[in-house]
Amino acid sequence: MAALKHFLLRVVVTLLLLAVPVLGVWTFTEADRWGLWFPPMVSSYGGSIDKLFYLILWMVTVTFVGTEALLVWFVFRYSKKDPTRAIFTHGNHKLEMVWTAIPAVLLVIVAISQMEAWTTVKMNFPEDGPYTREKPLMEVYASQFDWRVRYPDAQGNFTGADVIEVPYDITVPEDTKVVLRLKSRDVLHSFFVPTFRLKQDAVPGMEIPVWFEATEPGSYDLICAELCGWGHYKMAGKIHVLPKDEFDAWLAAKRAALYATD
Amino acid sequence: MIQCRNRRAAALAAALSFPVVACEFHPGAEELSYALNRPVIEQNQDLARDPGAQAQLAGALEMLFGTAASPRFLAEPEWVEGGFDPNYWGEDLVKNDDALRTSLEASNRTTFAAQIAAIEAGRFDAVVRPRHADDLWGWWEELKAEKSDDAAGLKSEGVALFAEYYPSLRASAALYRNQCYHCHGAEGGGNGSTSAFLEPRPRDYRPGKFKFTALKGKARPRHEDLFRILAEGIYTTAMPSFRRFSDAQLHGLVDYVRLLSIRGETEILLASFYEPDEGLNFANVQENYLDVVSKWRAAPEQLIAFDGTIPASTPERIAHGRALFTTPGDKGGANCVSCHGEGGRGDGPSVNDPKQSTDDWGRPIAPRDLTRGVYRFGRRPIDLFRRIYAGINGTPMPEHIGMTITENGQQRTMTEDDIWDLVFFVRSLATHTPAVAQHGGGHGGDLGGGH
Amino acid sequence: MSHAHAPAHPARPLGIDPPGTVHTTHEHHELGFVRKYVFSTDHKVIGLQFLFTGLVMLLLGGLMAMAIRWQLAYPWTEMPVLGRLLFPATGGVTTPEGYTMLFTMHGTLMIFFVIIPLLTGTFGNYLIPLMIGAPDMAFPRLNMLGYWFWWPGIACILLSFGAEGGGPAAGWTSYPPLSTIEAAAPGSNWGQNWWLLSLTFVGVSSMMGAVNYVTTIVKMRAPGMTFFRLPLSIWGLMIAALLQLFALPVLTAASFMQLFDRVFDAGFFTPTGTIINNTSPETLGNAAGGHPLLWQHLFWFYSHPAVYILVLPAMGFVSDILSVHARKPIFGYKPMAYSMAGIAGLGFIVWGHHMFMSGMNPAVGLVFMTATIMIALPSAVKVFNWLGTLWGARIHLTSAMLFAIAFVSMFIIGGLSGIWMASTPVDIYIHDTYIVVAHFHYVVFAGSMMAIFAAIYHWFPKMFGRAMSEKLGVIHFVGTFITLNGVFYMMHQLGLAGLMRRTADPYDYATYAHLQPINQFISWCAFALLAWQVFFVVNFFGSMIWGRRVGRNPWNACSLEWETPSPPGHGNFDRQLAVYHGPYEYGVPDAPRDFVPQTQRAHV
Repeated sequence: MAALKHFLLRVVVTLLLLAVPVLGVWTFTEADRWGLWFPPMVSSYGGSIDKLFYLILWMVTVTFVGTEALLVWFVFRYSKKDPTRAIFTHGNHKLEMVWTAIPAVLLVIVAISQMEAWTTVKMNFPEDGPYTREKPLMEVYASQFDWRVRYPDAQGNFTGADVIEVPYDITVPEDTKVVLRLKSRDVLHSFFVPTFRLKQDAVPGMEIPVWFEATEPGSYDLICAELCGWGHYKMAGKIHVLPKDEFDAWLAAKRAALYATD
Repeated sequence: MIQCRNRRAAALAAALSFPVVACEFHPGAEELSYALNRPVIEQNQDLARDPGAQAQLAGALEMLFGTAASPRFLAEPEWVEGGFDPNYWGEDLVKNDDALRTSLEASNRTTFAAQIAAIEAGRFDAVVRPRHADDLWGWWEELKAEKSDDAAGLKSEGVALFAEYYPSLRASAALYRNQCYHCHGAEGGGNGSTSAFLEPRPRDYRPGKFKFTALKGKARPRHEDLFRILAEGIYTTAMPSFRRFSDAQLHGLVDYVRLLSIRGETEILLASFYEPDEGLNFANVQENYLDVVSKWRAAPEQLIAFDGTIPASTPERIAHGRALFTTPGDKGGANCVSCHGEGGRGDGPSVNDPKQSTDDWGRPIAPRDLTRGVYRFGRRPIDLFRRIYAGINGTPMPEHIGMTITENGQQRTMTEDDIWDLVFFVRSLATHTPAVAQHGGGHGGDLGGGH
Repeated sequence: MSHAHAPAHPARPLGIDPPGTVHTTHEHHELGFVRKYVFSTDHKVIGLQFLFTGLVMLLLGGLMAMAIRWQLAYPWTEMPVLGRLLFPATGGVTTPEGYTMLFTMHGTLMIFFVIIPLLTGTFGNYLIPLMIGAPDMAFPRLNMLGYWFWWPGIACILLSFGAEGGGPAAGWTSYPPLSTIEAAAPGSNWGQNWWLLSLTFVGVSSMMGAVNYVTTIVKMRAPGMTFFRLPLSIWGLMIAALLQLFALPVLTAASFMQLFDRVFDAGFFTPTGTIINNTSPETLGNAAGGHPLLWQHLFWFYSHPAVYILVLPAMGFVSDILSVHARKPIFGYKPMAYSMAGIAGLGFIVWGHHMFMSGMNPAVGLVFMTATIMIALPSAVKVFNWLGTLWGARIHLTSAMLFAIAFVSMFIIGGLSGIWMASTPVDIYIHDTYIVVAHFHYVVFAGSMMAIFAAIYHWFPKMFGRAMSEKLGVIHFVGTFITLNGVFYMMHQLGLAGLMRRTADPYDYATYAHLQPINQFISWCAFALLAWQVFFVVNFFGSMIWGRRVGRNPWNACSLEWETPSPPGHGNFDRQLAVYHGPYEYGVPDAPRDFVPQTQRAHV
């Protein structure tokens, strides 16, 4: 009776531990079909970020399945019921070296392969092109609990009454390296556009440049990604990507609409 | 309530024991109810001491306006005869205006793109329940049941249902509860749980006083004015832009806010003029109700209309504007400098005058720093024109049209041209970006309450 | 070297008994109830005080979590049970500002009032003198003070719930200006001040304990107990204590700076020109010219080592428990010890990985990225060594063992998910999403909390002289294991879908509209997880009263604590101690029994 109970316990525990890698991997493979995966990627540098994610995903999955499988096997196989004693060893120096060196090499690969993506997004701002850090496309004002952008007037000034100020709807041209200047009125916020794979905290006291190049027309969520108070959950915006000529027409129409009389 | 939207996720969920319970589990929240406007009642001793009369008042308001969960207007026969039903106030307005109707439809087609696509593909059971649109979902289910054997009809009418959706007052009240109630309160008194922590306070709709309209004479706002506030938000306050909701939902919210304001104002009138010998009879109630509603209906007549194009700004006009601005009232100017200060920074001498530093709702208020280019009511020249023309209802910012000024030794009243000159001058003052935190230096952090 | 006779009252120049001093219980005068069980200087009593208090705080923190899960499953509906307690004004419906308070308090309570006290306070106190062969801690009165200093911290955090404006609402990370400017959040009124005071008390309490632990371990080991014969539990506790000593002062200083910002308008973290709720703090007298990033650096300089404090003792306990119940020596003892030291050392130079998106110089981000990637290595080595311990073992599936094995399984998940966050470009997407939430809950709850359960099941017989019910323990394990994975695993995928942390109602975004069903599933698993703990509560308290009595060494374990009576008397050891080898001699081939205790010469 006791032997049966123990066997049952072994089986249950083994199944539970086995469920970890099995369900763990299965939920990842099915995640996309359940709508639980990345939203589509529509920026020029987003691809390198996604690639890096997948590189790590593969390494991590192999490690995960391997170690969990070993755990399951050992827990099932090495039961107390065996009348002989456990293998009496305090370790194996060679094995330690192997399983230190191999992960070290893999981690170095991960470390090196990500540097370019990081510098691209955060450090290599466009120098030539319509928008630069000195002449951004727009200034983004984050405040509790609103996103507002200002496009410069026709002379390129960000001050003056002819500045175009738009809440919530942030329109940008497609296939253009867009630079914007991120400011915060009050507390920390964060400019997060999931489809661009872009995130940058808006720090009060700093004016932080951000750049991206959108590759697909469409409307994409802008979400605040740093706790800014009770309204953090509804601090939303929408980035509208328009083909270049449509964007120019849109901006011109906005400038003209400033002088409407309705 | 629950979006069992993603079928595969629901299947996964159903495969495990508890979520089967979860999918069928629909917790709710206690329904809101309208409370009486206690400060107003306390001001009328006869009413304050008479719980029976208060109950009558509550009953009268419920008769006129329904409950917080099921709000509706009582449609007076004389309106109905004239083709007006306040329950479809906004809907009639929008659907009779080509531009508004087109943009409503475009907005609905974007918001309900997934649902419309499913209907057009004939996958009627794959239509996902939209959030904050229980009435629409109910109508869709009814339509599906009705046309269960007429796929073509269901397709065309279904698409039309979603594309032309205009929310009922009930659905708008539900959305209000979700988004607005915690600041603006159940009756629209600006006294929700979060309101105590905000500066400026959320608007109290009940006196029927709204700051930012395109109207003169302290008129009640037009539908478009309230819509504008919802769509644009009011920068430098806690009122954000609500553009993440569709046009239809924003129109519906305007309708509900209008109901709350009319209800609140009717309540104030009834409570203030309650006399024990007259009591709260039907004629009394109806008279006040008709009065308030007619004020709202008359709004469009008070529009500060402007025909033609905006005049050109010239250095001479700006100089004239400067002269009007910086000359104090006792010297015959427009007196802007007394509040807004020489440089328009909102540091004029009136900031020390307590009477000039409180708004009609009893809150502290300060003049706008005009150098920032932040205009809470709209930044177009026409918006500034209207603001200077009509002032800001409920604040010390006065009406300027017809104000007496002295120029060249002669007294006259301000004309529209004078107001344009002021507009050009004010616009020229906007030499700084809106106040944000900066690292040392900069324009400093001054920004008073402002209007 | 051993003492032939221990003098009855040895000279105590430093108040410390020389190593190997033996006390007998009848030596000391009888203490009253209060001196014995309330204001006691006996490390065992203090350890149990930390245990009971910590478990109560676990319940409180868990209730906060349930409230959070309710809101995420059924936003803006009436919350059963807790709703009217927390939000009476809205009829039990969470308010937006209330939600920010909930997750702030949940995080604060769990980190500072549950895991650290249960790991270091309970087991640090209980085990250190026992496992090294000492009669008590080096500074028993300081030890007692350390426990009682915790109570003002608890009082402050409880007071913060009732503060005007509600409890602190700026997250457990408390970033300024949200936390420093009163107008920025309702919880940033007195609620935030109480929070800062609370953390100060808790920090002082921890530092007192840490001083004691390090001194005791260095100075009071029994004869023959060299450093490399210490159980890994002691290594974990000692390294964690060193982390506390070096990192906590930074948090205390930062908390004072924030307190000064709030109370004396100091302006350390307040930038010029902030406008919050239409007022400039400067017009109210605040100094400015400060920088929010300064707080982040100071805070994370402590809080990153803190996460290793949350996990290193747990790793130590798991190593010991695995070895005992697998009847096999720990695989790679020295690599295990060195790995823990490596994790702690590296842990001091990786704090910036919490700040990759913060606006600090991106080049600095690369530096932190490199160090963070490196820290995965010693953790991996430890996992391999645990697997090596189980290989060829004779595994007894006791409750303690089940939880210890679960720790290994869950720590693998938590550790591996960290690599995505270490990778700065990927972190651009996943920072502040639910992947981060999944990661730290796997390491801290599925990891450390499982280790705490394992440690309780394993050392309960020593603490109370009775056995816990194995049947209830297995039931507790199975349900907890299933539900916790149900709660936290899918958070990885939710984070990949972009779901943000700390959002009271994310479903109005097009990106998140379809995520409610999975959140409901997670919430129901969470409710089940909390309910399932009843098996533990019944087992824990019931066994204390009705459990089967056990002798000194019910697990047939090697380390020194099993030499004492169960529970040990005052002074712990009732005979002379000498240590001859390490604590992992299990399955020794030619020995009469399958283990050789440390006080027995190894069979040659």
